[in-house]
Amino acid sequence: MKLRVAALALILILCAGCAKRTVHAVVQPNTGSGLPPAATIPQGESGLSPAATVHGGEIKTPNFPNPGPFKTVESRNPDGTSVEALQARGEVGKFGGTFKVSTFGSGFKTFNVWDAGDVESDGIGILQFEALVSPDPWTGESYPRLAKSFTISPDKKTYTFVLRKGLKWSDGKPLNADDVVFTFNTLVKEGYGQNAISQRDTMSVYNEFPKIEKIDDLTIRCTTKVPFGPFLNAMNYPIAPKHIVEPITKQPHEKFSAFWDINTDPKTFVGSGPFILERHVPGQRVELKRNPFYFMVDKQGRHLPYLEKFVDAIVPDQNTQILKFYGRELDMLDIRSVRGIDVALMKQKQAHDDFDMWNLGPDDGTVFLTFNLCRRKDMKAKPPKPYVDPIKSAWFNNVNFRQAINHAVDRDRIIGNALKGVGEPLFGSESPASIFYDRDLKPFKADLAYSRELLKKGGFVYQGDRLYDAQNHPVEFSLITNAGNAIRDSVCVSIQDQLKKLGIKANYQPVDWNILLDKTSNSLDWEAVVMALSGDKLEPYQGANVWKSSGRLHLFDQRLPDSHGNVVVTDARDWETQIDHLFDEFATTIGIEKRRPIVDEYQKVVYDQVPFIYLYSPLDITAVRRNVGNYEPTPLGVTYTPKGSLHNIEEIYFKDQKQP
Amino acid sequence: MSIPVYILKRVLQAIPLLLIISIMSFTMLKMAPIDPLAHLKANPAISQQAIESERRRLGLDKPPVVQYFIWLRNLLCGDLGVSVSGGSVFILLMQRAGNTLLLNVLASTFTWLFAIPAGIYAAVYRSTWIDKGFGLVSAVGMSMPTFLLALLLLMVALATGWFPIGGMTSPNYFDLGPFQQLIDVGHHLIIPVAVLTFIGLAGIQRQMRGNLLDVLRADYVRTARAKGLPENAVLYRHALRNAINPLITMFGFEFSALLSGAALTEMVLAYPGLGRLTLEAVLTQDLNLVMASLMLGAVMLIGGNLLADVMLKFADPRIALE
Repeated sequence: MKLRVAALALILILCAGCAKRTVHAVVQPNTGSGLPPAATIPQGESGLSPAATVHGGEIKTPNFPNPGPFKTVESRNPDGTSVEALQARGEVGKFGGTFKVSTFGSGFKTFNVWDAGDVESDGIGILQFEALVSPDPWTGESYPRLAKSFTISPDKKTYTFVLRKGLKWSDGKPLNADDVVFTFNTLVKEGYGQNAISQRDTMSVYNEFPKIEKIDDLTIRCTTKVPFGPFLNAMNYPIAPKHIVEPITKQPHEKFSAFWDINTDPKTFVGSGPFILERHVPGQRVELKRNPFYFMVDKQGRHLPYLEKFVDAIVPDQNTQILKFYGRELDMLDIRSVRGIDVALMKQKQAHDDFDMWNLGPDDGTVFLTFNLCRRKDMKAKPPKPYVDPIKSAWFNNVNFRQAINHAVDRDRIIGNALKGVGEPLFGSESPASIFYDRDLKPFKADLAYSRELLKKGGFVYQGDRLYDAQNHPVEFSLITNAGNAIRDSVCVSIQDQLKKLGIKANYQPVDWNILLDKTSNSLDWEAVVMALSGDKLEPYQGANVWKSSGRLHLFDQRLPDSHGNVVVTDARDWETQIDHLFDEFATTIGIEKRRPIVDEYQKVVYDQVPFIYLYSPLDITAVRRNVGNYEPTPLGVTYTPKGSLHNIEEIYFKDQKQP
Repeated sequence: MSIPVYILKRVLQAIPLLLIISIMSFTMLKMAPIDPLAHLKANPAISQQAIESERRRLGLDKPPVVQYFIWLRNLLCGDLGVSVSGGSVFILLMQRAGNTLLLNVLASTFTWLFAIPAGIYAAVYRSTWIDKGFGLVSAVGMSMPTFLLALLLLMVALATGWFPIGGMTSPNYFDLGPFQQLIDVGHHLIIPVAVLTFIGLAGIQRQMRGNLLDVLRADYVRTARAKGLPENAVLYRHALRNAINPLITMFGFEFSALLSGAALTEMVLAYPGLGRLTLEAVLTQDLNLVMASLMLGAVMLIGGNLLADVMLKFADPRIALE
């Protein structure tokens, strides 16, 4: 047993550096497991949904009733001024205590949230900076945070936000419309920091940034050129303290990334969130302290948060995190720290320890198999040569071929073996976690007979056990994924195995993550790949980079930018054009229910055309000590760690906290 | 040649050597198939402009040769540059160097304090069960991978609750008094120091034993014994002084590993040291940080060798500095 743990640790050590940054937002090169390929381990009952094996254990499923809308109440700031505070919805707790969590990997890259390119830095940023509006963890609808209210004009182009009266930054300076206008019109619009540049892209519709203006000290008006669906979700963006950040923006752009970097003096830190940076101990932990000016109060009108301190330990890998949790050095393990291979052991441990495990349902990420559908020639080569062998390209572009493989992969077996049951099978482009997940798209079991039928329909023929195309070429292609990820390895072996039963030879080869990325995004020298992409539970438009035919991550048929950096699409398929139109349409449609049919339609096109053969979404599992009060995770209330599943972090308290 | 002149000569010789090392390291880093922007490119939520601006900021839009000369010019001006994350490389290194130095100095001290007497004892009482016992322990130490030992001790820590699970300080470290802080760090250091000491012990103990055995067979030892010198004088005045030379050379290497030798242990035990920083920097192609770490390692190696040579001169006047 110890040897196995040791072997796991070695693999983790070797890949810890890259494992880390992939955690959430990213094509995940490493979900960070070290399990050997286990294609031969039999799975339990075939009828049992893999998720159910997890539900069936002692793992709790969060099922907290929706506490209803937030209330705004009058309260007093610590300096005696009055504030229109936001009232928390949970039970009344006890003040004090230090909450200890951990993050695995090499630690934070920056404390400048507008320059954060990695998820950890983003995660520590959203603990410290509030947004105008945020999605409700129960419904996904935006509700006012720093804003007291917001209204949308009848033509759906103008949004008016009214701020709470009496808001203060953690240094006691007032927070008002100037800060909001500065954040969007200076930081975002002028592109200070990489996060802000991406935010500019998210907020722009038809390349035009919305007009954002101050009406009075508490009122901000935003006008978009056309009605813009993702706008409200995009307004869930950290507001910057103008009085601190503005002087930096007077300097050249390059200076901005040195502002509030990891070597920053925490004393200069000013925020609006529940916790503010107190100390960064490099390579060890980040300590945050309670913000006395935080604008939320509990049901007795006392200023939150309950916790005095929030400490995030930086450890190299998940194994250390779990050991630290068992050793009571941590109060919780948040999403992505508990992997499938850990669950069984942890469940045993749970039986005689005082923590609970929670299953928050599928993650927003999707793992898929895809083929290179590119039919173009590399014009830079002399003579121009096709990116993909035309014989193989013909197979890949044959929808019957893709559907046959879609029906051949055994998702249940993959989840049972590679993920130890901690995953949910996936059949469409939106994760089952998404509020836009189309429930009409029927799941199916692996069915090789049906696959063979589809292949015959697509013009393929069998000679003995081997599959040949109409021109008598044996069907054989290379299958790659990123090396060093045992889960992905196991997935590929399973796919290879199923394809063999179809008479298809898949030459599986793991390649280095960076080489893989170069193949899919530059050289286009690949045939089939297993990859993962993050999604968004609330905003499918975040997938525009993937789904638009000119997108930067349009993996299955990547169009490369010309020498001017422009992507010109000349050979879009009908269904690609249809998806383009659907994306444009729901980008300009407002309201979840109005957008739903459009998102459903795009999911149906993908379901029928199968450019991606979706495999699974991992489940989010957390573990929390039982003395932690108000821990009410919801599937939608999950953000980047260290905030993670603690959507109501201001209300978290220790039940056994001694009162002073 | 007098010692100061010798040192000066060696330092001058080191300059072209360092230059070559830097060119080789830079070339290898550039040839490695790691893209520092890979994580951005793979994130659907990051826009192309953000990637481009990051590329410009890191200077990756220039050809590698130009990048090298920019790096060299900055180095000559005493500027180690900024890491990918934007933090100053110098500050990053300084934050970690102290931790690693503390760990390695302690580990080395314990290693030598145990290894030398154990080596002498084993040589003098050759073939007794104590010698064989030392032999067994050092064989285990030599063959056991560092990470495995570190991990086993972590398991012990978890099972017994006697030691903290990795790290260097407790979360409440800054609320403690100075004495309690010292205790806290010491408590965290037990496992990493134990790991490094145990692993390092084997080599030095065996070297010491072997050298001493060779010397004890020499003619002058027999002469010393024959003329009736007490055994202690034979051993410590004559034999040991002659047996110690190779160990001084080993000490030079040991010195060079002071800042880089504990990377795996630091990784497994979540210790905030330089080795862990460098490993993580390599994996993300944090060019400036890796280059600075490599150059630091090279300087330490050259310095360690020089130190050993000078010490040899003091220990053994027969050695001529050329």
